[in-house]
Formats: sequence, C-alpha cells, structure tokens
Amino acid sequence: MASRKKVLLKVIILGDSGVGKTSLMNQFVNKKFSNQYKATIGADFLTKEVIVDDRIVTMQIWDTAGQERFQSLGMAFFRGADCCVLVFDVTAPNTFKSLESWRDEFLIQASPRDPDNFPFVILGNKVDLENRGVSAKRAQQWCQSKNDLPYFETSAKEAVNVELAFQTIARNALAQETEAELYNEFPDQIKLNANDNARNRDGDNCAC
Amino acid sequence: MASTSKDSLPSHLTHQENIDDDLVPGACPESILNPTDSFEEIETEMSTDPEQRHAKLTTKSSTISEIQSEIGEPSKDMKTAKSSDDLKEGMASSPSSSNITEQNGDDVDTDKDEYLQSPELVNKEKHVFILSSAGKPIYSRYGNEDKLAGLCGVIQALVSVVEDHDQDILRSICTKDCKAVFLVKGPLILVAVSKSNESETQLVMQLTYAFNQIVSVLTLTQLNRIFEQRRNYDLRRLLAGAERLIDNLLIFMEKDPAFLLGAVRCLPLPEKARENITNAIISTCNKIRDLVFAILIAGNQLITLVRMKKYTLHPSDIHLLFNLVRSSESFKTAESWTPVCLPKFDATGFLHGHVSYISEDCQACLLLLTVQRDAFYPLSQAKHTIAEKLEKMKCIGAINDALNRSKDLPTTNPLKHIGIPIIRHFMYKCKSTAQLFTSDPISLDRLQDYRIMHKEGGDITVKKIEKLSDIDYVKNYRKFCNQIHCATVPAKFIFRSNCENTILAWITNGFELYVTFDALVEKEQTKKAVDHLLQWIKREENRIFIMNAPTF
Repeated sequence: MASRKKVLLKVIILGDSGVGKTSLMNQFVNKKFSNQYKATIGADFLTKEVIVDDRIVTMQIWDTAGQERFQSLGMAFFRGADCCVLVFDVTAPNTFKSLESWRDEFLIQASPRDPDNFPFVILGNKVDLENRGVSAKRAQQWCQSKNDLPYFETSAKEAVNVELAFQTIARNALAQETEAELYNEFPDQIKLNANDNARNRDGDNCAC
Repeated sequence: MASTSKDSLPSHLTHQENIDDDLVPGACPESILNPTDSFEEIETEMSTDPEQRHAKLTTKSSTISEIQSEIGEPSKDMKTAKSSDDLKEGMASSPSSSNITEQNGDDVDTDKDEYLQSPELVNKEKHVFILSSAGKPIYSRYGNEDKLAGLCGVIQALVSVVEDHDQDILRSICTKDCKAVFLVKGPLILVAVSKSNESETQLVMQLTYAFNQIVSVLTLTQLNRIFEQRRNYDLRRLLAGAERLIDNLLIFMEKDPAFLLGAVRCLPLPEKARENITNAIISTCNKIRDLVFAILIAGNQLITLVRMKKYTLHPSDIHLLFNLVRSSESFKTAESWTPVCLPKFDATGFLHGHVSYISEDCQACLLLLTVQRDAFYPLSQAKHTIAEKLEKMKCIGAINDALNRSKDLPTTNPLKHIGIPIIRHFMYKCKSTAQLFTSDPISLDRLQDYRIMHKEGGDITVKKIEKLSDIDYVKNYRKFCNQIHCATVPAKFIFRSNCENTILAWITNGFELYVTFDALVEKEQTKKAVDHLLQWIKREENRIFIMNAPTF
C-alpha cells in the first residue's frame, strides 16, 4: 500500500529552560553538542528520518522555548502532536517538579482525543554530570504513577541513550497512528453503503 | 500616454455604452452555468469578518440529498457537514509580525537550511504549500514535502501566533519581490509564495481552487471529520495519487484565462452540430431519472452540458472536471466509474460519474454524473447509444474539425477572419452565461508541452520572447483584471498604451473584454476596432457560445 510508505510524526519537546531540549535535538539530528548555552527564542523546527520496523518515518521535531519570556508562540501549535517529550535536568530537582505542569499544560492546549493514553516520553538529561539531584528511582516512580510513561536517562553531551529515546518516541507515536488507521478508513462511506443496500431491498426497486 | 479612467468613461466610448444594452454577444436568458462571480466570493474569503468566513465553511443542506428525495428516493442520510473550523479568528486585518526566530546556535543553522536552498526550491516563480492546521505537510508544488516539515512548522507557528496572540488572521506577508499569501480553510492551511505579478486576490483564488480540488477528492464532510477525529492526521495517506491533480490545476490556473475570469471556454461548433449532439444526449438520457448532468468536453472546452431541471454548474466545478479529465490518462483506455465531489454544487457528498471518451478517434470525453452509486451499467449503455448517434449524425467529424483547428473555420484564426490588423489578441467573457472566447485558444498540444516543460521548470527566466502566446497575453491582462475586479475602487474601463503594446480592458453589465493592440495606436482606432470586434462576436455567437440551457 503506497500510503503506508510515508509517515510524518509531529513531536514536541517541552521542559524548563536549560534542561537541554535543544541539545538533545541537536545530538539526535546533527550528532553535535555545544557546551555553550543559547536560549531558544520561540520555537525551532528540525526534521529527521528514522526507520521504525521497516517503515521510514519523518520526525518533525518542535523544540520550544523553556524560558517563559520567550514563549511568544503561545500554545496553539501544540495541536495535532503525535508525541510529547518532557525533559528535565537530573541535577536540578525543580525542573523535575515542573514536569507535572508541563504535562498538564500540554494536555490542555493540545487536547488530544485520548489524553490518558497520549504518548509522552520522559527524559532525565545531563546524567554525565556528577551532582545528581533527582534519583533514577524517584523519576521512575513518577513515571509509573502517570500510566507507566517510558523514562530514559540521557546525556546530550555524551550521546547516551539519545538515539534509543528518540526511537522509542517514534515507535510509540507510530503505534498510535497505526491504531488510528484501523478505524479511520471511510467509516462514513461504509455506513452509506449499508443504508443503500437496505433501502434497495426494502422495495425501492427502481433500478434503471 | 497612459490613461486610466475609473468612473468616467472617455467620451469616445459613450457610443459603445449606448449600444451596450443590445450588443452583448453570447448573452442568453437562461444559462447552463451559474454565473456567480468568483471574485465576490473571494472577497468574502479574504474578509476578516470571522462570522462571514465561518459561514462559508459551514455547508448548507446537501444538494445531492435534495435530488435524491426529489427523484422519489428516501433521502440518503447525508448529514450536513459540520465545520470543524474551530479556529479562533479575529477581527482586525493587518498581519502582525511575530517573534518567531530560529534557534540561534550557529553550528546548527548551516545544516538545516540546506534543503531550502536546493535547486529544486530556489528561484521558482511560485510555490504552493498545503499543510494541516497541526503543521504537517500535505502538499508542496516543488520539492519533497517531507523535507519541508520544518518549513511547515514555521508556517503553522506564524499562523497560530497571529491567531492566538492577536486574535487576528494572517493574510499575507510582502517583501520586496515576493508575496506570501495565507488561506486558512477548515483544517487546512494553504500558502502561496509568489514572485509573479498576480495580486493577493488572484493568489487567494488559486489557493481556494487547490482547496476545492482536495474537497473534490474527499468531500468536505470527510475532510472535516478526519481532522475532528484526529488533528494529527497525515492527510497524504488519503490524497495519495491526487497530487498530480493539484500539480496540473496550479499550472493551468496560471495560464488559462478561464480561471482568471471565472468562465468556461466552449468548443466553437456549427450551431446545428451542437444541437444534434445535445439532442442525442437528451433523447438517450431523458429516461434515466437520477442523472444530474451529462457533459461533453474536449480539450478544456465545453461542447455541451445537459442538466437536471433546476440545477446548474458553477464554472469552478467545471474547471475541476476539466482538470480531472486532462490529468487522468486512464480515462482514455477504459470506461471509468469514479466518485467526484463538486464543491460548489454540493461539498458534502459525491456524485458518481461515468467517464469515457466518445470514440477512439475523437478527443471528446463524456461525463455522466448521477447520484446513484450503482448506475454504471445503465450509463455505460447510454454512452454507447450516444456515441452511435453522434457517429451517425457526423458530429464526431465536426468536433474533430474544431479540435484540429481546421483552416476553414472562422473561429480557428479569429483575428484573421475579423481582419483588424491592429488587434493582436483579445479575450471576451459573456457575464450572464459565464462563457469565454479568446482569439488564440491554447491548443491541447501546446498545453501538454507546457506541462512537461513546467514539471521540471517553474523557474524564473529572463528569456526574451519573440512571439507572444495566449499564455503571455493572459499574464499581461492580470493587472488589468485585478483593477477591474478591485473590491474597493473597481475600474470600468482602462486604456493603457506604451511602446510595447496598447491594452484596453472594459467591463459592462453584460461582458468583460480585454484587447491587446499594437503599440501606440490612437484611441479613435481602438474604438472602431472594438466596435467591429463586438459585431463579429455577435455574428458568430451561435458558433462560439452555448446559447441555450438544455435539460433532460
């Protein structure tokens, strides 16, 4: 089926400023890392093709500004996302605490059909640093409490788990997509068909 | 010596104004086409009044179910389409610039803009992008829309930030040499980025056509429902194979004056021949009670259209049918049965069409459109009967003569036949019937060449053109057409002369006329020439226009 060839997934990356959203994306897309911090203004868009279970998937990644003063885009562009990646800094507990509100904000703004099963992926970034402030256990517990969200500990700097995390992101988003296909094939048409047949049998046998 | 008169006509034209009432070549009391001007609709389209825009998308009751109930069938449960247009649309009109700055890491920027600089994208005269309101790419005229996902993200962000923050609608962004025009229609965002001389209105019109082409494939009901259910839907899945329809439509829209004027071209035929063809269709089909339209077309020209009483077709729906036929090689080899939605006629449902060429040696294509989804065999039967009748009455020969532009026909080379050497080109639209005639109809082959050329091309070139074709004249008329249809200060008459040519544009209650003369001709000469030209069109009107509105 030709239509199965192309899939495009819209992925949104959210989290407090400085947790490494842009760095993660750059590591994933460009295999590059820079120690220099530059705030993202508004939003940034990158795309990357990945292969998931023999399917070529284009990931359209929306990197957003973490700093409130740069959130000039508003939230309207969350709509129609296939997956949301929530990032925190394992050395900064307050960025972990914010996850809850980022998640809620996303669900309100994007209003997905099935919020309980919307694919989120949680990334604890900067595991290359010494001074951990959030233990893996604590993060995992939170993820479990939120309907078992997948959790990865990453380092954008040393490219730890980045590839794997984005693979999971693509796979989980794709799973939702595929599910959708099952019920989205012209339900309207089929219904009409049935009506037609029924009607014809009912004796409207004008057939030309 | 350039003069533009907006309200007062130059004195030499008062004479023409006087004869205006009785000299409207091609006018007839009843029309097969719905002559509503698309320009007015586009004005609504561009209106910033959200109520008005919203009303446009909330479709009215279904014409198809109306027909079904009228032909005695219990109305099919065609639900009226609910508009999913839940986008907030604001009041004021000025597009505001937004702070959407790309991320500023320098080592990143170099990589990511590479594709946008590639030869398949740069230096194109006009780009068209279609995306979902979620920012997922659906169509790009050039290049690979997958690789443009980033650009689509930017577009969606631009549109949504104006919507969200300013409660406003982003309509266009103009730079020194480039216009970007945005059209948000239901769940889709359409964007044209143009370096041509087309106006914002003309670009919006083209985007509306592209939207209608998508509706024609899916129906508005289906389109809205998909995105109501899943905003993240990748519409390319459902449109697979339909990209070529949009490709072709965009090419023809730029070139064919029929789109510019919202009119339909008719194939010039002897009156008797056209009458015979029409009668052959009526006598064969008048017993088929759920047939809504029988349309015979050839080379983007209408030969005849027979319709169910009460219903007419809008020129833009006919253009979509023209586009469907010329884009589908497969119709040439077999009889086809295809669902087609005609957005102006009824955007909520499909008509079912039997489509076939009338014979192997004739390029005329017959479309029989019905509301019955299983009427292939009776319509196939009807088609064969019609083909036999046409053969017997020698109508096929007449059609072929016209298509091959036989030298004996006055309409083949009208300028020569009219005999006014200073006229280089003209196009004439009869407003009441929405029909069009031009002095140099684009022949099928040339359009074919043009299409092939443009498949790779579309680049801006500065080539010196020696001999202008219809296509080039149409480009020249755009500006005048725009002034004539300007919503705020419409011009009625424009006369402009320079060292290259003299162009006259004139709109009356009955017609629109655009003429290109030699450079620096006197007004007095043009007056005589236009008189003469109108008389000629009047004399030939039965041949070049469809002068009746036959029904089954």
